[in-house]
Amino acid sequence: MPGKTPRQSSSTIDLSVRIGPMTLANPILTASGTFGYGDEYAHVVDVSSLGGVITKTVTLEPRVGNAPVRIAETPSGMLNSIGLENVGLDRFRSEKLPKLRSLGATVVASIGGETPRELERLLDALGSEKGIAGFEINFSCPNVSRGGARYWAVPRRLEKTLQRLRPLTRTALIAKLSPDVTSVGDLAIACEQGGADAVTAVNTFVGMAIDLDPLEPKLNRTTGGLSGPAIKPLALARCYEAARAVSIPVIGSGGIMNGRDALDFLAVGASAVQVGTLSFIRPRGAAEVLEEMTAFLVARGVKRMTDWRGGLLGESEARREAARRKA
Amino acid sequence: MSRAEAAMKKAISSDWTQVVAQVVKHRDYGANHLWLDLEVPRSFRRPAPGQFVQLLLRAPAPVLLPRPMSVAGVSDRGNRRVLGFLYGPVGIGTRALAQHAPGDRLEVLGPLGRGFPLEVPGTPVLVAGGRGVAPLLFAAEVLGHAGRRCEFFFGARNKAALVGLDDAHRQLDRHGGRLHLATDDGSRGLRGTVVDLLERTAARLPQPLVIHACGPHAMLEAVGRWAMRRGSPAFLAMESVMACGTGVCRGCPMPRSADHRARYLRTRGDTPSLYGNAEYAMCCTEGPVFSAEDLDWERVD
Repeated sequence: MPGKTPRQSSSTIDLSVRIGPMTLANPILTASGTFGYGDEYAHVVDVSSLGGVITKTVTLEPRVGNAPVRIAETPSGMLNSIGLENVGLDRFRSEKLPKLRSLGATVVASIGGETPRELERLLDALGSEKGIAGFEINFSCPNVSRGGARYWAVPRRLEKTLQRLRPLTRTALIAKLSPDVTSVGDLAIACEQGGADAVTAVNTFVGMAIDLDPLEPKLNRTTGGLSGPAIKPLALARCYEAARAVSIPVIGSGGIMNGRDALDFLAVGASAVQVGTLSFIRPRGAAEVLEEMTAFLVARGVKRMTDWRGGLLGESEARREAARRKA
Repeated sequence: MSRAEAAMKKAISSDWTQVVAQVVKHRDYGANHLWLDLEVPRSFRRPAPGQFVQLLLRAPAPVLLPRPMSVAGVSDRGNRRVLGFLYGPVGIGTRALAQHAPGDRLEVLGPLGRGFPLEVPGTPVLVAGGRGVAPLLFAAEVLGHAGRRCEFFFGARNKAALVGLDDAHRQLDRHGGRLHLATDDGSRGLRGTVVDLLERTAARLPQPLVIHACGPHAMLEAVGRWAMRRGSPAFLAMESVMACGTGVCRGCPMPRSADHRARYLRTRGDTPSLYGNAEYAMCCTEGPVFSAEDLDWERVD
């Protein structure tokens, strides 16, 4: 089939994907923390052309973030230790939401809390706001002392928390997971059982870099979250694991730099993907990923995004089945 | 609000673009430094002295992130705009940049940040430390074209480290400014620091003085504290590790002074989200040029 189908225009391909009650025009999202509150890059990217925009994580109170140094480049990647700097719930609602509504984009608000109660209060406040298509719960920040990735990496806690959050919104509820756990699959199952519409696999990996002279960590908080192409194979394996573990959609994330990277995640079962670090390097990055991905699919004669999704997963399932029959 | 303050309050603009640029000249500048001329489309907004751009090497490149680099000169030739940069190939990224020959392409995002508020009235005193001379050569040129005389203070470890001294001479000869030199070892000009030189010379210059400085942070702190003691406004071009350079990644916080923090809290409603917060300014959007009074020097790296 590859290469034998005549070229089609992108209008004949249906890129739409469903994430619970939310329909995305295409599977390309911007990752939380890499695209501001949605309007910052709006003069260089048509954000309404993307599948959606996930905002910087919002917390109940404003946070000033960690002391410098917050960024260190590593081979094919970068470490960050921002510390959930954000404007807080009140300013998000009064200043950012009106702007978000005017963008014409599908907006997913990222929210973060140190306790289940804090997340409840955030969702209570925002759950019925117009202009928010869904919420991504940041269960996986590696750079805060309380309520970070380690606190939330407990399946029972995730499940119980999501059970409490579920009734507070009719929009999509997405759980963003840390990769630094024994089994992302187990966490994904807990989220599914708790009522999440989808899980995101994965947030950044805990990493560290040091200077030798003088001998000290490059980051003020010693460790940070590693992102960029360095983590793509790791993230892809976690995404694959999560997609096999649950029947709710999985959103892939980690080191996506081009259309082929996005197709990899979709092939292992992701329903959508997030572009993160690339936006720091090329603000139009997410739109370019979408263009490249679409061109690839059109050239292959793929008519629906869902026909591509899980291609590898399906094939390996089929092979496994065949092996079983043989045995 | 003082005029200096008003100048620093100028809104940041989001009219940066990312364009493909071509190397037109890349030459040895002496003392292990290079001068790079990059041609960009005329539609690329003209950077001001103190502003910077993000230079992104094309794949395959040994580094992932773009490199923030201060603009050392701009010239327009027909429909072409040429940006000049002065740098030392000291890290992986800049060493890879040094391999670029005329005709090679890379990507430029900018112009970014807020430059020196050269319009603040008074005698412009440009203070350069080592390769920090880059944006000040540009500032001297812009001031010269505006018919304003500047006092150019240039300090370094030794004579060899006074990078771009010839260009500084040329700028000042053409526009009638004065050059004042200091080296730690006394191999050129005063033996001592550039602050020692300022201390000796300042009283003889036409007052009031307005300081614009670029160099290592230790030097900028000394210049800033000296200027604050004598009540002169001082604008300092700071450096930080950066990822995006546009305010989105929140990677380059600079600790605000108590005064600056109070001012921030009063005007918070008008503060763009690409700026920092009560505790930290963002170097890329509110800087890289900061008023000395706006930073908490106890906590500056």
